[in-house]
Amino acid sequence: MKLIGIILFLFSSWMVASDHSHDHMDHSDMMHHSHEGHAHEELVDGEKLEVNPERFDKFVATLSNAQVAVVSVKGMVCDFCARGIEKTFQKDKNVKKIDVDLSQGKVLVAFDKGFDINFEDIKKKILANGQNATGMQVVSI
Amino acid sequence: MGIYRYILFFYIIIASTNIEARPISYSGGSTLMMFSDNMKDSIYYHFSPTYKYSIGIESVKDNYLNNDYSLLRATYLINRKNTQYSQRNLYINAGLSINDTSNNFYGIHGDWETRRWFVGFGFKKLNNKIIDYDQKHLQLGVAPYLGEYGDLHTWLMIKTKKNSLNDDWYTYPVLKFFKGNVLVEFGYNDETEWDAHFMYRF
Repeated sequence: MKLIGIILFLFSSWMVASDHSHDHMDHSDMMHHSHEGHAHEELVDGEKLEVNPERFDKFVATLSNAQVAVVSVKGMVCDFCARGIEKTFQKDKNVKKIDVDLSQGKVLVAFDKGFDINFEDIKKKILANGQNATGMQVVSI
Repeated sequence: MGIYRYILFFYIIIASTNIEARPISYSGGSTLMMFSDNMKDSIYYHFSPTYKYSIGIESVKDNYLNNDYSLLRATYLINRKNTQYSQRNLYINAGLSINDTSNNFYGIHGDWETRRWFVGFGFKKLNNKIIDYDQKHLQLGVAPYLGEYGDLHTWLMIKTKKNSLNDDWYTYPVLKFFKGNVLVEFGYNDETEWDAHFMYRF
C-alpha cells in the first residue's frame, strides 16, 4: 500500500508540475501573437486537410511567417509511443514547433517559410521512432 | 534542491511489473524503469541506438531466491506492423548476469494495440544455479476515454500470469496511467500482492 501511495504521489506531483509548466509556456506565447482563422479545412488546390481544427488552430496561433507540414503517420496509437517523434524533431534546429494529433494520426511540424521541407527527411525522423509517415501536406501560415 | 533529492530517493527505492512494456525507445532515446512484484524488485535503464533494439543494465533484488545481481539486457524488435489505427509488436529479449553467466534469461513478448484496446503476452525462461523456472503472462486493456496528446491517459487492464514455481495462474486488475514522459502501472492480487511499474522516457 505504501508503495502505491508513493507512486501515486510522485505521479500526481509530476503532473501538477508538468501542467504548470505547460500553462506558463502557452500563456507567454499568446502574449506575442494574434490568433486569426486558418485554412484547416481546405487547401488552395481543394484538397481536404484532415486535422483536428481546434488543435491545428492552437498550434498555428503562435506562428507567423511559417509553414506547417501536416504529416500522416501510421502506427501512432499512443501518447507515450509518440513522445520520441517530438524529441527527434526537437533536435532539428530548423523546426520551430511540433505537435501530435493522435485522433487524426497526424504530426504537425512548423518550419520557417523559406525552408525547403523534405518529406524523405521527415519520413526518416518518423521511422526513427518506429512509425511510418505515409503522406504530407504543407500549409503556409 | 531538497525536494528533488527526496523525489529521486523514492524513485530509486520504488521498483516496478510489466517491465517488458515499451522495451525499446526511439532512436537515440533511453528509458528508466522501476518494477516491483512478489518475485523481484528491479531498476532497469536501457538505451536504443535504433528503434529496432535496446541494450541496458538491470539491477535486481530477487525476492524469491533472496539474491541480488545485475543483468546486461538486450531487446530486439523482430516484427512490427503499423496501420492507421493500430500497432502490433513482437520482441525477443535476453539478459545475462554480470557476475555469474549461469544466471540468465531469455524470452519473447508481444502486443497489439489501438487507441482503445490493448492485448499483450509474454514468456520468459529464467535460469540460475539454484532453480530454473519460467513466467508467462497475458494482459488485456481498454482505455475508458481517448485522451489527446499531452493529456493524462488511463488504461483499465486485466492481467493473468503464471509462474512455474507455483504452477498457478493469478488474475488481477491493473491500472495504467501515463502523461508526457512518465508511465505508472500497478495491479493487485490477494496471493501475489502488489505489482508496480514506473517508467520515465528521456
